[in-house]
Amino acid sequence: MDLLQQILPLVKKPARYAGGEWNAVHKDWEKTELKTVFAFPDVYEVGMSYLGMQILYNIVNSRPDALMERVFTPWPDMAEKMRENGLSLFALESLRPVKDFDILAFTLQYEMSFSNILYMLDLAGIPLRSEQRKEEYPLVIAGGPCAFNPEPMADFIDIFVIGEGEEVISELLDVVLAGRRKMLAKEEIMYEAAKIAGIYVPALYQVFYREDGAFQEIRPVRAEVPGKVTKRVVKDFDGTPFPVKPVVPATEAVHDRMMIEVLRGCTRGCRFCQAGMIYRPVREKKPETVLRQTAELVKNTGYDEISLTSLSTSDYSPVLEVIRAIVDEHSGRGINVSLPSLRADHFSVELAKEVQRVRRSSLTFAPEAGTQRLRDVINKGITENDLMEAAGAAFREGWHAVKLYFMIGLPTETDEDLEGIVRLAREVLALGRKNGVSRGRLKVTVSVSSFVPKAHTAFQWEPQAPNESLKRKQDDLSSKIRDRGLTLNYHDANLSFVEAAFARGDRRLGTVLVKAFELGCRFDGWSEYFSIKLWLEAFRLAGIDPKWYANRGYNYEDPLPWDHIDSGVSKQYLILEHKRAKEGIVTVDCRTGFCPGCGLCPALEIEPYYAGSEN
Amino acid sequence: MPRYRVMYAKEGPARYLSHLDLIRTFDRAARRAGLPVAFSQGFNPHPKLFFAAPLAVGTIGDAEFADMELTGDVPAGIVAKALSDAMPEGLRLIEIRLVPDNLPALMAVVDRAAYSARAVLDDSLERETLEKAAADFLAMPEILVERRSKTGEKRMFDIKPGIFAMSAWINNDIIVLLAELKTGSSGNIRFEELIAAFMKCSGLRVRGNFEMRRKALYPNGKKDQEMLW
Repeated sequence: MDLLQQILPLVKKPARYAGGEWNAVHKDWEKTELKTVFAFPDVYEVGMSYLGMQILYNIVNSRPDALMERVFTPWPDMAEKMRENGLSLFALESLRPVKDFDILAFTLQYEMSFSNILYMLDLAGIPLRSEQRKEEYPLVIAGGPCAFNPEPMADFIDIFVIGEGEEVISELLDVVLAGRRKMLAKEEIMYEAAKIAGIYVPALYQVFYREDGAFQEIRPVRAEVPGKVTKRVVKDFDGTPFPVKPVVPATEAVHDRMMIEVLRGCTRGCRFCQAGMIYRPVREKKPETVLRQTAELVKNTGYDEISLTSLSTSDYSPVLEVIRAIVDEHSGRGINVSLPSLRADHFSVELAKEVQRVRRSSLTFAPEAGTQRLRDVINKGITENDLMEAAGAAFREGWHAVKLYFMIGLPTETDEDLEGIVRLAREVLALGRKNGVSRGRLKVTVSVSSFVPKAHTAFQWEPQAPNESLKRKQDDLSSKIRDRGLTLNYHDANLSFVEAAFARGDRRLGTVLVKAFELGCRFDGWSEYFSIKLWLEAFRLAGIDPKWYANRGYNYEDPLPWDHIDSGVSKQYLILEHKRAKEGIVTVDCRTGFCPGCGLCPALEIEPYYAGSEN
Repeated sequence: MPRYRVMYAKEGPARYLSHLDLIRTFDRAARRAGLPVAFSQGFNPHPKLFFAAPLAVGTIGDAEFADMELTGDVPAGIVAKALSDAMPEGLRLIEIRLVPDNLPALMAVVDRAAYSARAVLDDSLERETLEKAAADFLAMPEILVERRSKTGEKRMFDIKPGIFAMSAWINNDIIVLLAELKTGSSGNIRFEELIAAFMKCSGLRVRGNFEMRRKALYPNGKKDQEMLW
């Protein structure tokens, strides 16, 4: 009897590994020239919630000469059974081993999923390091936000895609196909790929370090390989292929609903936010496109909920008219609209009211910092007044639970800023009582994460606050946020520490990852699997001090390990933003018409696009 | 509101869907099919889909039953075609009938289920030995299995009164078990429980696991093995 059928009854949630979902594409293996598999380095329910996978799956499977299948990280119970039975990591469509494919494509969404990539390569029977993989192994490629500092993963990935994958993937597949037809060696195919704009092939670059161990330079080692790799960006966002026939999981995904991307990019300019920098410029989808794609999604998926996704959906110019049109057209069939995140302002509550006519769950606002001074430092353009108005409106409109997101350890933070978090939480709670929410139902949840400096942001030169200091601040908050109706959650500071080391890491961290993998690290984004003890041991074995990466500040003139990756936003602008942060000066959103001069539009020959602006 | 009774198979990848997954999948398939599924009233409306009896995850269902209410009359043939085309791999529609809306709920009438299981035997075995093992097993005054209460406490439970029939045979190295068990809200015997108890009692060993299959669901009182129509 089939090995997989023997194993599946023994594991938790076997539907994760069974495939057969609606809209899954099964192509003829023998008749399709290039076989690719998209690999999400987390469990099925998380990976199936990722729109980027559906976008690439649609594009590749639309080509007659290529196919794309899917694979997710097997939960440890499944991985154990697979090892016991000698079953190698397989793709969900054909159930074929991942190592039989030509291209294995990972997405790098989060530093703490790096260990799962090594774990998956190993389960697939593929050597971890790029240099160990001979011709018979797939090309291992990777993209996504963490590719903007690719160095910690450079030992394991053959080809990185920098920027928006849908823009590059077809060119890359063409080059690989052409190379294979010419019987080129893998190394030569990689060289050809390196000539495509937005492609970074780490094996073709050499890294130099100073005598004191600091990073010095990264240089191409072959002719025609660019010294700097500039991100790719979709110019016609409205016209770019959108997956209106996404794979519909039968078992529950984290985001188990239709997703319609209404805009890409965010120009609010929060200084800690990497997404706000690397996804520039803002490009909005025309309302008629959104409505047309929504109608197709409804017909093709059978979901009863649609989410208008983006980094900041309340900024979408025609958001109100689009929500109303969707509700008018589809609510008769019991379809709800949901918004992924809301700004803390009155308009956002109006939007929430529009979409949540029936379900009254909680509303989430992200003031990020406890005082106006610190919010100005991070350029979070929200005032206390905005927040109170939004929370007040929410309570009056019938919500009784509000979540507030904050960060601790931000640059320039003082005790006063921590006090501010406590004070804001209490004021929102008091507002709830004043607006007649009963004591029993009123709930204000304060969720506190630790600041992690990220590459390509204005805070990339900033150190992460020492681990002990973050823990002390967490303790301080938990001793103060104790009122009835207030709940405090905070993220593990140890996890943020490891994340920070990798977020600004260099190529030497590859050794740490191998050690961590060998020690058994995987699913590190999951608190039940993350072990700081194992990670510290991995760093020790590799002879590398994580504090040197996480808690270190850089000078503007210091070369940075990600300087060869160009997000389009100029370094001069980031320096300016960092200086303005220190002085507490806010920078306006370029949406307002004032260009703050980030340099991206001229560099990438592109402009922001706002729906309705052509009229 | 018109009520439709659906007979379907749950096989292939769909056999790994949980009961909740199955409800979700039927709802989505009905939406894709453009069928006007009725919704319950109340704070959190849910589609009016009612399944006869939950099937253990991983067990194949040859002839499962569900009722579905629509808000308007649609000929059963059209419902069948539309729903069939909208089902994911492994959920195969066998038949749909319009049924009177005063018919008792499926869950209330289902009483028994027929099962089969097969696995590869570890050692060779004579047919007579196996038959004797089955007879000895059924001859025991009680067949105790361990169950957990809702609070997590372990207790022993006698499944014998719920075993209506059981037999075993072999074909080369494949062992096949057949059983008819009490199913439904007035008492439920899980096929895995019976298999585990039998294997323990007989001392037989198989390689890997049994592939289990629910072959039919029967209502109470009917001697003639009529299905749930």
